[in-house]
Amino acid sequence: MSHTQDKSSAFQQGIVIFVYLAALTALEYFVAVVFTAIPILVLIAFIKVALVMYYYMHIYKLNEESDSDRDSYSYKTGSNRFGLWLFLLSDAFVFGGLLVSRINLLGFTRPPLNQTLGLAVTAVLLLSSFFMNRGETAMAHGDKKGFVVNTMITLALGLGFLLGVVAVEWPNAAREGLTASGNVAGGIFYMMTGMHAFHVFTGLIFLGIILNNNRKGVYSAEKHWGVEAAAVYWHFVDLVWIFFYPALYLIGKLL
Amino acid sequence: MKRFFSSALMRGLFWQFIGTLVGAGLVTAIRAAMGLSVTDKFFFTEPAWVLGAFFGVLFFMVGTGVTSDWIKWARGIDPPEHHEERFQGWEKYVNISLDHKVIGVQYAITSLALICIGGLFALIFRTELAQSQLQFLTTDLSLFGQNGPQLYNTLMSLHGMIMIVSILLGIASAMNYVIPLMLGAQDMSFPRLNAFSFWIAVPAAILLLMSLVLGGFDTGWTGYPPLSARAPVGMQMFFLGVFTAGWSSILGALNIIVTVVRMRAKGMTAFRMPIFVWAAIATSIISLTATQLIGLSFQMVMFQRLFGMGFFDPGKGGNPILFQHLFWFYSHPAVYVFVLPGLGIISELLPVFVRKPLFGYRWIAMSSMAIALVGFVVWAHHMFTSGMNEYLRVPFMYSTLLVAVPTGVKFFSWIATIWKGKITTPTPMLFVLAGIVAFLMGGLSGPPNATVSVDLHLHDTYMIVGHFHDTIFGGFVFPFFAALYFWFPKATGRRMNETLGKLHFWLMTPAFFVLTLGMMRIGLLGMRRRIVDYDPAMGFDSTHMVLTIAAFLIALAVLIFLYNFFNSIKNGEKAEGNVWNSRSPEWQVPSPMPAHNYDQPFEVVGEPYDYGLAGSKYVEFIKSEKSAHN
Repeated sequence: MSHTQDKSSAFQQGIVIFVYLAALTALEYFVAVVFTAIPILVLIAFIKVALVMYYYMHIYKLNEESDSDRDSYSYKTGSNRFGLWLFLLSDAFVFGGLLVSRINLLGFTRPPLNQTLGLAVTAVLLLSSFFMNRGETAMAHGDKKGFVVNTMITLALGLGFLLGVVAVEWPNAAREGLTASGNVAGGIFYMMTGMHAFHVFTGLIFLGIILNNNRKGVYSAEKHWGVEAAAVYWHFVDLVWIFFYPALYLIGKLL
Repeated sequence: MKRFFSSALMRGLFWQFIGTLVGAGLVTAIRAAMGLSVTDKFFFTEPAWVLGAFFGVLFFMVGTGVTSDWIKWARGIDPPEHHEERFQGWEKYVNISLDHKVIGVQYAITSLALICIGGLFALIFRTELAQSQLQFLTTDLSLFGQNGPQLYNTLMSLHGMIMIVSILLGIASAMNYVIPLMLGAQDMSFPRLNAFSFWIAVPAAILLLMSLVLGGFDTGWTGYPPLSARAPVGMQMFFLGVFTAGWSSILGALNIIVTVVRMRAKGMTAFRMPIFVWAAIATSIISLTATQLIGLSFQMVMFQRLFGMGFFDPGKGGNPILFQHLFWFYSHPAVYVFVLPGLGIISELLPVFVRKPLFGYRWIAMSSMAIALVGFVVWAHHMFTSGMNEYLRVPFMYSTLLVAVPTGVKFFSWIATIWKGKITTPTPMLFVLAGIVAFLMGGLSGPPNATVSVDLHLHDTYMIVGHFHDTIFGGFVFPFFAALYFWFPKATGRRMNETLGKLHFWLMTPAFFVLTLGMMRIGLLGMRRRIVDYDPAMGFDSTHMVLTIAAFLIALAVLIFLYNFFNSIKNGEKAEGNVWNSRSPEWQVPSPMPAHNYDQPFEVVGEPYDYGLAGSKYVEFIKSEKSAHN
C-alpha cells in the first residue's frame, strides 16, 4: 500500500513490477516467434493485466475505508475513485468490442506488420507506465520534484508512443499495402490502433493538466486525486495495449 | 422572452449552429485545398456534415457553460462546491442547474417533448397505413430530398429511435429525481456530471432530427449495413445522434451507481433500500457497459462510409453479421434498461395503494438483477433469420426463455401484493394496474417469438411490433405516467387534476390494447413491418383503419395529459403533505422539496414496505444537528 510504505520501498516495488512486466513481454514475443501458442499468450496477458491493475493502478484502494464525513476530501476521493473505475469498465467494453471484431473478422491470421516497430512502441508504452507509477508515488510522498521529472518522462514517452504509432507505424503499414480502405485487415488495424491512440492522446492531455496544476500548487501528498486519476487512466491505456499488441502483432498466421 | 433567448438552452443551440458551420467549413476548406468536391446534394459533403455535427455537439456543451467548472479545474482553479440557484421559476429549467431535482424535471420535459415528436411521426405514417395503396406519401411527393415512401422509411426509423431516446431520458428523469430523495442524499455524487449527462442529450436529439432533413435514411432504427453503408447522409446524423445520446445514458448510469453505493442514509442496508433503487442499479449496470457496443457498431459503419474501412463489407472480407452481434449486444439489453425502472415503479407504488407489504421484497430485488444479467446473453434471438451460425440458435433460444423466470417472479409478487389488499384507485394506481396487464400481454407474446421454429415465421411481422409495443407500454409508458402523477405533488406542491387524469387513462388504455392486439392479429396473418403499403387482397384495410383510429385516440389522451400537466403546475389543487400516505422518506417532509433536500437527515429503522402493520416505521429523522447525513 503506497502511503503506508516509505518512499524508497515504494519505488523499489515499482521497479520490480516493471521488471516482471518487461520479462513477460519478452517471453510473449519469444513464444509468438518460436511457436504459436495462443493460450500461453492469453495467460501472459492476464498476468500482466493483474500486475498492472494491482501494483500500478492500485485497484485495492476501492476497498479503502474513507472518512465517514461525507463532505471530507477522503470520502469524495473514494466516490471519485469508484466513479473512475466504473468509467474504465465502461470504456473497456469498447476495446472488448474491437477485440471481438478483430477475432471475428481475421480469425487466426494477422496483418503483415513490422515486428521490430511493434515491439519498440510496446516497450516505450510499458516504460511510460513505469515512470507514471514513479511520478504518482513521488507525489504521494510529497516529492514534488520527483513527480515533475517522472511525469515529464511519462509525457515524453507517451508522445513517443503516439508518434510511433501514428507517424511511423501507420505510414509504414500503408507502404506495405495495409490501407484503411483496402481489405478488412487494414480497416480493423487502423480502427484498433486509432481508438487506442485517441485514448493515449487524451491521457497526454491529462498529464499536461496535472503538470500545469502542480505548478500552481494544487496538489499535496495528502490531496492529489487529480494525479491519481491521470495515473490510473494512463495505466488503463497501457492495459488495453497489453491485449491489443498480441492481438495485432503476435497471434495467428501471417495473412 | 428576452430572458428565454439568453438562457443556456438557447446559447447552446446557437453555438451548436456555429459549431456545425465551423466543422463543416473546416472539412470543406481542406477538401478544396486537396482538390476534392466541396458541395453535394445537401450543400456540404458527407465528411463535412459529420465533422460539423461533431463540432456542433462540442460547441453546444461548451456554449451552455455546463463544462465551465471542469475547465476551471483543468486550469487549477477550484470552483465552489455548491452553486446557489441563480434562477427562479421556469428559468431554472432552461439554464444550467446542478440540483438533481431540477435536472430530473429537465429530463422529464425533454422526454415528453420527444414523445410528442416521435408520436407525431407515428401518426403520420399510421395515417398512410390506414388504407392500402399510397395516399399522401406518394412517389410524386418530394420533401427533404425524399419521395413519399422514402419519407415513410425515415419517419418510421426515427419514430423508433426518438422514442428510445425519449424512454432513456424518461427513466433518467425518474431516477434522477427520486433516487437521491429515497437515499436521503443532498444530491447525486457528481452533480456536474449529472448536468452534463442531461445537457448532452439535447444536441443528440437535434442531430436525430437533422437526419430527417438531410435526406433521411431507410434502415429502420437498427441501421443494419449494407443498407446503412449506402443510405443518404441523414444516416450519419442518426449515428452521431445515437452516439451522443449514448454518452448521456452511460454517464447518467455511472452517477446513479456511485450515488447508490456511496450516499445512502444511515441504516439503509442493501435489503432495506426502496425497490426502485434496486431496479435503477440493475438498469444502470446495463447502460454503463453495453451502451458502448451500439456506439462502437455505429461508429464502425460511420468509418466504413467515411474512410472505406471494410468492417461490414463482404467485398473487403468484412462481415455484416458482426454488426448485428455488436448492435444487439446493446440493443437487446436496452429493452431491459427501458422496462426495469418501470417495473421498479410498479413494485414501488403498488404497496402504497393496496396498503399491504410488498410480497417477496428480496425476490423482486434479485429478479431485477437477474433480468439484467441474463439480458446480456440473449441478444442473438434477434438474429435467428440473419444467417448467423445455426448452432447459436438453440442456446440463445433457451437463454431468452430463461428471462421469463425472473419476470414471472415479479408478476407473482405483484399478484400476491394485491391479494386481499385495501385497493384504492387514484390515477397513479390505475396506470400501475394497466402497466401490469400490458406487460403481461407483452410478456406472454414474448416466449413464442423467442422460440426459433416460431420466430422464423414471425420475424419482421406486425406480431413483433405488437409484442414490443406491449412490453414498452407496460414496462415504461404506463409506469412513467404513474410516476409523473405520483411524484408531481412532490415537485410542485400541487397535484394534477384527477378527472382529467382518469379521462387520460380511460381513453388511452383501451385504445392502446386495441392497437397492439390488432397489430398482433394482422402480424399473425402475414402483415410485414416497415413497409409503406400492403396488398388490399390481404384484407387488412379495416384492421389498419381501426389501428389508426386507436393511435389518434392515444395521441388525444396524451394531449389531455399535457394540458393537465402544465395547467396543474400553476392551478392544481394544493398538496403539500403526504398525499398518498406513503412510507417513503421523501413524503415525510412537506412538498415541494427545498434545494438541498432534507433539513434533517434520517435513519432507516425498519422495513420499507410494511404497510398496514401497526407501529412499524421505515425512517426516523435524526434530531441533533451534528450527526449530519451519515
